[in-house]
Amino acid sequence: MTRWLLPGFLGVGVLATLLLIVGPALYAVSLSFYDMPSLTADPVWVGFAKYAQVLASAAFWNALWNGIVYAGLAIVLQVVLGIGFALLLNQNFIGRSLLRGLAFLPYLLPTVVAVLVFKWMVDGSLGIVTILMDDWGLPPIYWFETETASMVSVIMISVWLWTPFVTTTFLAGLQTVPGQLYEAARVDGAGPIRQFFHVTLPSLRPILTVIILLRGVWMFNKFDVVWLATGGGPLGATEHLPVLSYREAFALYDIGSGAAIATLSFFVLMVAVAIYFRVFPMEQGK
Amino acid sequence: MTYEKTKGGVWTRRQALKGAGALGMGLALSGLAAPALRAQEKRPIRFLNCETGKDTLAFFARMATEYKEKAGVEVIVDSVPLDEAFTKITNGIRSGTPYDVANVGFIGQVLLLAEEEQIVPLNELTDEFKWGNNILFPIDGKVYWYPFDYNLALIYYRKDLYEAKGLSVPNTWDAFAGNCEALVEGRQKGCLFPIGSNGAANWMSFAFLWAEGVKLFDDEWNVIIDNDEMKPKAAAYLDFMARLYATMPPGALQAGYSDVLSNLVAGTVAHGAYAGRVYEAAARDNPDMGGRLGIMPYMDSAGKQTAVSHGYDGWVVLKTDNTGNAMEFMRWLTTDRMVDFLHSAPVHFQPARLDIYDDQRWRDNALIKQFGAEIDQMRNLVTDGSVVLTSIDTQGPRPDVRPGKVFESFVMPEMLQNKILREMDSAEAVAQAAAKMRDVIK
Repeated sequence: MTRWLLPGFLGVGVLATLLLIVGPALYAVSLSFYDMPSLTADPVWVGFAKYAQVLASAAFWNALWNGIVYAGLAIVLQVVLGIGFALLLNQNFIGRSLLRGLAFLPYLLPTVVAVLVFKWMVDGSLGIVTILMDDWGLPPIYWFETETASMVSVIMISVWLWTPFVTTTFLAGLQTVPGQLYEAARVDGAGPIRQFFHVTLPSLRPILTVIILLRGVWMFNKFDVVWLATGGGPLGATEHLPVLSYREAFALYDIGSGAAIATLSFFVLMVAVAIYFRVFPMEQGK
Repeated sequence: MTYEKTKGGVWTRRQALKGAGALGMGLALSGLAAPALRAQEKRPIRFLNCETGKDTLAFFARMATEYKEKAGVEVIVDSVPLDEAFTKITNGIRSGTPYDVANVGFIGQVLLLAEEEQIVPLNELTDEFKWGNNILFPIDGKVYWYPFDYNLALIYYRKDLYEAKGLSVPNTWDAFAGNCEALVEGRQKGCLFPIGSNGAANWMSFAFLWAEGVKLFDDEWNVIIDNDEMKPKAAAYLDFMARLYATMPPGALQAGYSDVLSNLVAGTVAHGAYAGRVYEAAARDNPDMGGRLGIMPYMDSAGKQTAVSHGYDGWVVLKTDNTGNAMEFMRWLTTDRMVDFLHSAPVHFQPARLDIYDDQRWRDNALIKQFGAEIDQMRNLVTDGSVVLTSIDTQGPRPDVRPGKVFESFVMPEMLQNKILREMDSAEAVAQAAAKMRDVIK
């Protein structure tokens, strides 16, 4: 029985991965070599023509840049704020357990709920934020009205939604740092800031490396927040590669271009991840 | 009967093999029997619906039960937002499980499906009725869809505020902008027309252009919005919209359908555009507001021409081995149950079939009675040949996917955004839009 257990479980896993992940991914890549004006049209082989078309378009480079800005700023803010909250929640104070629970709450909210509630709160006529600001004599904020404001707004929503992931993961890591290290640092005269940079951060470097990697990949591929908040607008200011790919494939019915953008996005991510591992190598197993 | 012992409660390999063999045999036998069983009953009709209002969904649930009792055929209704309908339809076809009947909201998509011979002509259902203007979109005499409403985008205005300020219903751009400016007071803004890259802007914000006589294509499908005749008109329209924008609440650049609806019903804007749903929402959420809202068509700059924007919806029947059943079902739905369906959104579903307007059963609805004068006004807009009745996706000499691409690529809202957000010169914004249109349709 045991003889078959390991290959059996492994086989199921490999089969599921092949069928549900590798197969569809390869199919999506294969679509990028065809011209298909709709999902029902007969595909026509065009080789790399769709890639040439996509790479020659300003929309692709604009979307790539927007994706870098969106993912980059969102990760920096999530990590900085997440570590800050984790350090706070690692202190002893009354109500700590409740606050830890509350801190995780945004992560549990469905994205669609969070984005729509945010949009309603800042609605230009009826939003509670707008009305309160008006009552206090403050001018309205044009949350989605300019190109910069739209990008800032989608980053804000993303930070609010996913900072708890960083907080929780980092908090779990903090509890594994041996207390003796801090005691030794204190004996050597290190204050809280030096303790953080010389004990906490080095101890949690592997966790931080993984957090930044995961959040980076997830943010770069994040579709729902941008789509729900701005649809990529105004004037493409928040349109990143996932939105552009979706729009090409399912709004303009250029399936080949949509697939080519998705494939290029995959390669961009692969290169970024490879560079990341080169710069921040994972710890070798002992 | 003998029993094999298990080891520690876990099946033996022999038991597992026997069990799997028995299960396989059972499945194989049931598979052999299935076609015979299936042949004895009519196949269910798969219906893709995109009208997701609460009352409409309830109607379809009732309708499915009734049809099952009447004809013995199950109707399976899937409901998705209109934006996702075409992907669902084409995915169904590609996966070998097509819908039998589907709701479509763009005539370009009907044309695509017809060209690929995925849908069947519906003349046997449509020919016996009289229809409003510019709604059937026949292709070589064949009608491929059954339009059930117009969903015209109209301008709503506050009658009470007009009266209080002594304003009259405007028939020129200048008068309209003047009224919007006159009605900005504190939190109350002059108007709301969406400007973002979304369907709401495409539907609600461009009928001023159509009233002005602007066309996007000539008879040969050349883009002409930047030619000598159209460009000054389109540029003047952009200047006019920039003037209106100054009277709008913050958020117009991302406003969608619900934003305009809620602002109109809440009374925070004096003007806005929508179809009949505003009256339904007002009757439900703010009953006083219903009586204060009047409607008017979009106007041109000189007071000579009016227009309204298409927001039509219809059903198509797909070519499947169940088409016969689907056509029978459609005949029943569009005759016996048409009025009940339209009553599920009585003012919003403005009938495309003219006989409905005179059907006493339809007129007996409480909301249709309450807003009878406005509904008569809406009817005139689809029968009066002098009113321009068009939209971005129906531009051009005949139904085609090219205007659909212009619609979906949001070239027109981007033209507005270039003017309003980037303060681009109007003529330059028109020229950029024309260039992008050519790129999109090539």
